[in-house]
Amino acid sequence: MFHYIELTKVWSLLEYDKFNPLYFSSSLFLFLFLGLLFAITVFSNSRARVYILLLFSAFFFYKNSGTALYVLVLSSLLNFGVGYVLHNAKAEGMRKLYLWIGIILNLAALGYYKYTNFFLRTVADFQGKEFEALDILVPLGISFFTFKALSYLFDIYYETYTPTRNFADFLLYMAYFGNISAGPIDRAPAFIEQARNYSVTREDISRGVFLIILGLIKKNVIADYIGLNYVDRIFDDPLRYTGVENLIGIYGYALQIYCDFSGYTDMALGVSLLLGFKLMENFNYPYKAKSVAEFWRRWHMSLSAWLLEYLFTPLQMGMRNMRMLGNALALLITFILCGLWHGPSWNFVIWGGLHGLFMVVGIVTNKPRTAIIKKLNLTNSKFLGFFRILFTFHLVAFAWVFFRAHDLKIIADMYSQMVNFFKPGVFPQFLQSYQMISVLIGIGYLLHFMPEKLSAAAYKVVGKAPLIVQAFLLAFAIWFSWQFMAADIQPFIYFQF
Amino acid sequence: MISDKLKKAILTELKLDDFTIEDATMANQIPGWDSLNHINVITAIEKDYGLRFKAIEVLKCKNIGDLQKLIDSKQNK
Repeated sequence: MFHYIELTKVWSLLEYDKFNPLYFSSSLFLFLFLGLLFAITVFSNSRARVYILLLFSAFFFYKNSGTALYVLVLSSLLNFGVGYVLHNAKAEGMRKLYLWIGIILNLAALGYYKYTNFFLRTVADFQGKEFEALDILVPLGISFFTFKALSYLFDIYYETYTPTRNFADFLLYMAYFGNISAGPIDRAPAFIEQARNYSVTREDISRGVFLIILGLIKKNVIADYIGLNYVDRIFDDPLRYTGVENLIGIYGYALQIYCDFSGYTDMALGVSLLLGFKLMENFNYPYKAKSVAEFWRRWHMSLSAWLLEYLFTPLQMGMRNMRMLGNALALLITFILCGLWHGPSWNFVIWGGLHGLFMVVGIVTNKPRTAIIKKLNLTNSKFLGFFRILFTFHLVAFAWVFFRAHDLKIIADMYSQMVNFFKPGVFPQFLQSYQMISVLIGIGYLLHFMPEKLSAAAYKVVGKAPLIVQAFLLAFAIWFSWQFMAADIQPFIYFQF
Repeated sequence: MISDKLKKAILTELKLDDFTIEDATMANQIPGWDSLNHINVITAIEKDYGLRFKAIEVLKCKNIGDLQKLIDSKQNK
């Protein structure tokens, strides 16, 4: 009897539960990962490694998306098949046909699972009808594995890659648990090569452990804490807060989304390094960018590289007769679609459109700006550099409001509070009452803007430590981040009353 | 080998006095050749040589050496 109960408990822990998805930072994941790591290390030089990783990835997918696993398998089979015929076709016409079949199949699946309700809702809104959402379960990471599949087909079409003949390797590329839920959007050539050849150096282990620690602190300590205890409240009801609190809410969200996303990516990179995969870099201090274009070379880099290679550059080439107008149109199309890729909602479209618009203004004003800067003798000056970083950061931060707030009224309220009810005098009170939030936002931005030499030095200290010390640091980081996750939600504070 | 003509076309468009360009040089290693400016460089080269690339031909180029080969193959036609 006793054994029976225990077993069912364990089994239910491993079952699909849509209210309880599996994250890297959850205790269940860390526990299972230790087992996986052990198995991979034992079978490091055999083909069994790929099959073990496939099994674990299938479980990871199932735990998050249940039986939608078949969508991933079906998509992998189709893309593998299309890739095969595309590679073997001789005539250019046939190659183009196969490429288009691949593109349409992938976008149809992505469109059905992710955008059907969005589309139907928009149509219903236009007709002024009531809308009842269809019950469509979105498979885990469909945006990510669709883009991985498309890059595989494009690379074959461009003849920059000879596709693998091994389906298991390709399936692992599509399904790998490390990057399926939040990227990076890795490319087949580098990933499949690493699936075939295992290599983990002592340096990889140090780097992996360091990244997991960093990710846990960024995600669980900074992002989740300031999100739950401050940012969410501002975005829930901005009219209850002064303009200065709304502004801090926007700065807080800019930090939260960076720490959340890049922290999760750090964990993905770290976990993968321990298993023998060097995934693509995805973040490089994005708020240090001096222009919105540079921001996109530092933020979600695997996505922006994808968009640049497979969408923007072909569009730009196709519209080059229109000169600057063609460039501007290519930018707007790319970034509106980039917004839509993030989610089936108008606010993402507006957010993407804003980024496109910023860059269009950038290219249109480039010549006069350069001339003025040259006249003022400011080219390469520190002042200009600082100003550009500050300006770019604010453009990006104010655009994040559209990403976070799902209601246009909230956005209007936030901006109206900042314009009409700023009340800077509240700031000292804010610091006093929200001490933990202030400290975390301060530390977060300090870590982001500190010279890269310092962060490299910090890594050296951890990286050179003996393995046992690194293991201890990791255990401490896990414990510490769980303390933060378990902390009570901080009480509401209103200043204006 | 990168021809002087191609090198000059690139440097003029990007307003560079001098920069070493070899076969393996990638576009983004040349100062000013970024994604937004890319199209200006390509159209400048097309104009200098009096030829027109297909989009796919340029997309296939991995480095300046590939671009040189593409130009040579177009001129020999």
